[in-house]
Amino acid sequence: MTLAISKDTLDEAVRILHRAQETRTPCPPLRERLLPVGDVASAYAVQRAMTQDAVAHGRRVVGAKIGLTNPVVQKQLGVGQPDFGVLFADMAAWDGAEVDVTRLLQPKVEAEVAFVLGRDLPYEQVTVADVIRATDYLLPAIEIVDSRIAGWDISIVDTVADNASSAMFVLGNQPVALSSVDLRLCGAVLEHQGEPVSVGSGAACLGNPVHAVAWLAATMAQAGTPLHAGDVILSGALGPMVPVTPGASYEARITGLGTVRTAFTPGTKR
Amino acid sequence: MSEERAEKIAKMAELLDDAAVTATAIPQLTKVFSLGVDTAYAVQEALVGRRLARGEKLVGIKMGLTSRAKMAQVGVHEVIWGRLTDATAIPDGGTVRTAGFIHPRIEPEVAFLLRGGEIAAVAPALEIIDSRYANFEFTQPDVVADNTSAAAYTIGPWQAAPADLANLGVLLEVDGRVVQTGSTAAILGDPRRALAEGRRLTARHGVKLADDWVFLAGAATEAVPLRPGAHVRAVVQGLGSASIKAALA
Repeated sequence: MTLAISKDTLDEAVRILHRAQETRTPCPPLRERLLPVGDVASAYAVQRAMTQDAVAHGRRVVGAKIGLTNPVVQKQLGVGQPDFGVLFADMAAWDGAEVDVTRLLQPKVEAEVAFVLGRDLPYEQVTVADVIRATDYLLPAIEIVDSRIAGWDISIVDTVADNASSAMFVLGNQPVALSSVDLRLCGAVLEHQGEPVSVGSGAACLGNPVHAVAWLAATMAQAGTPLHAGDVILSGALGPMVPVTPGASYEARITGLGTVRTAFTPGTKR
Repeated sequence: MSEERAEKIAKMAELLDDAAVTATAIPQLTKVFSLGVDTAYAVQEALVGRRLARGEKLVGIKMGLTSRAKMAQVGVHEVIWGRLTDATAIPDGGTVRTAGFIHPRIEPEVAFLLRGGEIAAVAPALEIIDSRYANFEFTQPDVVADNTSAAAYTIGPWQAAPADLANLGVLLEVDGRVVQTGSTAAILGDPRRALAEGRRLTARHGVKLADDWVFLAGAATEAVPLRPGAHVRAVVQGLGSASIKAALA
């Protein structure tokens, strides 16, 4: 596939995003300067280059995340579909464990349903039945998103290039069968010190998180990187994302799926 | 109560009553009168008193501003309560005339049926709110005086309360499309807390929650405008749904 951007421009975008993460210093938006507005293909090429680089450095791919699953957020970014990013094993934090907030730039948290696949999903056209059949089990999850772009001033190309603004994720530990949960109507709440700070339900994610996974499976198969058995999929936020307060802890509760927690270190003065 | 204060309260109640009856917005009372929250509750009592004098019956209590989303939407940061009368009840699946309102909005709720001040039954519900103030803009005393924007409500099927009400998914559908998603957790973290707050706050004004009263615990999502011809449904996880139809004219 021919891209609208040159190899040099692509490499420059990769370097800038790398540097932002390594120095924990957000960079200005990539759009216009490096990535043409709305050129999502070039943005995914940047993401792919970063993934290849990460794999070459020994990082293990364990699945994918889906972003922009809420129509309100899609409208804000002027897009009509979700996006995706890659999950690496080293992005996982344990349930309840403290996350070093200084590893992150401007983190936010959201409650999500995680799907763990029991079968490959190699099809470029995917039905809901394919997803249900391929799902081994579900887990409640907290996604810690982050943006390497200053002030979260992102357009679709900025977030796609930046691995869909992913950073870390926390999975619950008790698997639940998809057949036992009403994924459309399940209530979802993210609590901070016993106070709900974000609420929603399964329907907030493309009408049903299963829809998001079907979209992801088809999109990744079309891209030549299909989902495989064992992959973890973060299917998308069930409520508005919440900016992380250093030192705070958050608990996600999804009815029928259980709970999962994360905490952040108070941070240090740089 | 001084005669001057009583006259002022009666005047404000009359302004709000006329605004509702004629479906005509009025300026905020706080722009014209000096009005604190306590006096505002007295205005609310006088306002609802005028309707009771016209033959309406007091049938319950509603809570307002029980969610962060709602507090942010209207810029008020304390839970408030209002009174429900039988004339504002719409049967589940029934039709409502939007022309009778100023700028109606609708939101999904959870309703309790009260016995001995406790929850005897639970139902999904819809509430129509319609601020009598121009542009739906008000301060806390304004909205309290205006009976917390109460306009109409619909209760779905009553049923025994499930063990856990804290985090039931809630959808608001308009014409078969999901327009808002939320959870009962939006209602003070758990709708049962709204009842505790309601009991406490109404007692402050000498109101005791009576048997067979309806208790609207608060909205689970933001309110959306209610347009003529719309079919609106609230769906609450495990509780089913409540719906209304807005007449075309």
